[in-house]
Amino acid sequence: MLRAEDIGRPTVSSATVLVFAFVSCCALAAVVIGSFPLQLSIVTIFLFAGVHNLMEFRYFAARMPVRWGKSRVFYSVAIAGVVALTSAYLALYFANDNWLWDSGVYLSLAWNTSFIAWIGALFYLRGKQTSRDWGWAVPLVLFLAAAAWASPQYWSLSLVYLHPLIAMWFLERQIRRTKREWLRAYHVCLASIPVFVILIWLAFAGRANLPDETRLFWRIAQHAGSEMLPGISNHILVATHVFLESIHYFVWLLLIPLVDRRAIPWRLNDVPMFSSANGIPKIFAAFLVLSVGIVFLLWFGFAVDYTTTRDIYFAFAIGHVLAEFPFLIKML
Amino acid sequence: MFKSPCVLFGVIACIIHQISLSEVPMKKTLLIVVLLAAASSAALANIADPSIGKSKSIDTRLHISIDSKAKEAKLIIPRSQLRQLRAELDAIDGGSDNTAVAAGTSLSGTQTIVSGALLSVAFIFAGLWFMRSGSKPGAAAVAGAGLLTLASVATIVYGNAGPPPEARVINGKMFTQSVHMYKQGSGPIKLEVSDKVDTPELIVPDNVKLSEE
Repeated sequence: MLRAEDIGRPTVSSATVLVFAFVSCCALAAVVIGSFPLQLSIVTIFLFAGVHNLMEFRYFAARMPVRWGKSRVFYSVAIAGVVALTSAYLALYFANDNWLWDSGVYLSLAWNTSFIAWIGALFYLRGKQTSRDWGWAVPLVLFLAAAAWASPQYWSLSLVYLHPLIAMWFLERQIRRTKREWLRAYHVCLASIPVFVILIWLAFAGRANLPDETRLFWRIAQHAGSEMLPGISNHILVATHVFLESIHYFVWLLLIPLVDRRAIPWRLNDVPMFSSANGIPKIFAAFLVLSVGIVFLLWFGFAVDYTTTRDIYFAFAIGHVLAEFPFLIKML
Repeated sequence: MFKSPCVLFGVIACIIHQISLSEVPMKKTLLIVVLLAAASSAALANIADPSIGKSKSIDTRLHISIDSKAKEAKLIIPRSQLRQLRAELDAIDGGSDNTAVAAGTSLSGTQTIVSGALLSVAFIFAGLWFMRSGSKPGAAAVAGAGLLTLASVATIVYGNAGPPPEARVINGKMFTQSVHMYKQGSGPIKLEVSDKVDTPELIVPDNVKLSEE
């Protein structure tokens, strides 16, 4: 009920607050990251990389049903794909010390093709569960496979830049389900991201290349695509990548728990695997404790040898990248 | 008529499907054929020059060093090997100048075949899906087709573009992935003959700004 003194006073909805906060944070992040991309890359990964993986694990655990029922095949293919593709990726990564090149180029192409085929299979299985027309997924998957074969290095680089956007897509699907009044506001937030990226490019395009005298600096620039796009200042490449990654962390750590109470870390009773009579509470608790331990281990590793820990982290991070796809496809 | 397998497969699929489903609107068929014809320009843009032939070669070793103090690229040939080289060249048919490496592309043959096959199948499935779907092509689809056509035609312009500046100057950047993908590179170089070296030696300047060269 409105009080007398509230009548005539402009009301500010939570959706408006979301837009204001999101755009303000992006503006601040764009300025700071654009000015100090290397430093912010180091800091954001140190602080948020492990924690955001923990939050993703927690979110996926809350979405995983205890009994798979009609989705048994879907989840089986999903989990098998994550395990097999992650194992193959790690084998290739550590065998070559360089993801795409040297002797592993055809193995890498095979991995890319398997990855795309796996996503196609998930789309197909999901399509069988819904009444919607999913026929477009087959040509899309084939087209992506053709692109991956035609230009494997750019394909891999595109994954680096597209991965942060997956978190934003997750949030969009989640808002549709649990916070629909934020949907329009969130779309405005999403529309602001390319504007900030363009502003970063306009503001920092003239900057000289970042120093690459240390292995860490070289790795950061290489990860952002400096060697594949030598005509572009790696200052803006690194800044763009860190900017998108920061939004990605922001989404997983703050926004998704805000719109989905089941993603709040300490509400374990909302996790079916933990609270259901048919669940696996001890195994889930063990995984959770292990995950928390890995977060602390990462912090310790970053403190002792940042460069090596960063390399190891990004190698194993492919697991969480892959795990996102089945849950995202399931939400479509 | 159809030099691109992608177009050929796509058009055949459309025709077969059109025959099997007579109720499919003609507008869709025309839209797909236009799209496929437009896409064929990308395939026609990079037809290889058949005049490029293979050359004879002389076996030797090359030492490459990247030198941050060097101001220009330099190829030093041992005098002893130069005499041998001259003798070898005399033996080669007329010493013709087609010794340049056959023009490389960014794709290997296998990659081209697999990528082309996947793209062709993608077009076939897209055509079949489009025909089977109940929706009529709206203004957005027509506009998208128009944009795609323009983008595809633009590939004719870029299809035969040369390598980037990094691949046209001999310096340290030549060993980066960006140039590696072109599998070729060239640039001005000083040739020297020396008694002090045992094998041909290529000195590559490092950390040289492109604008200074």
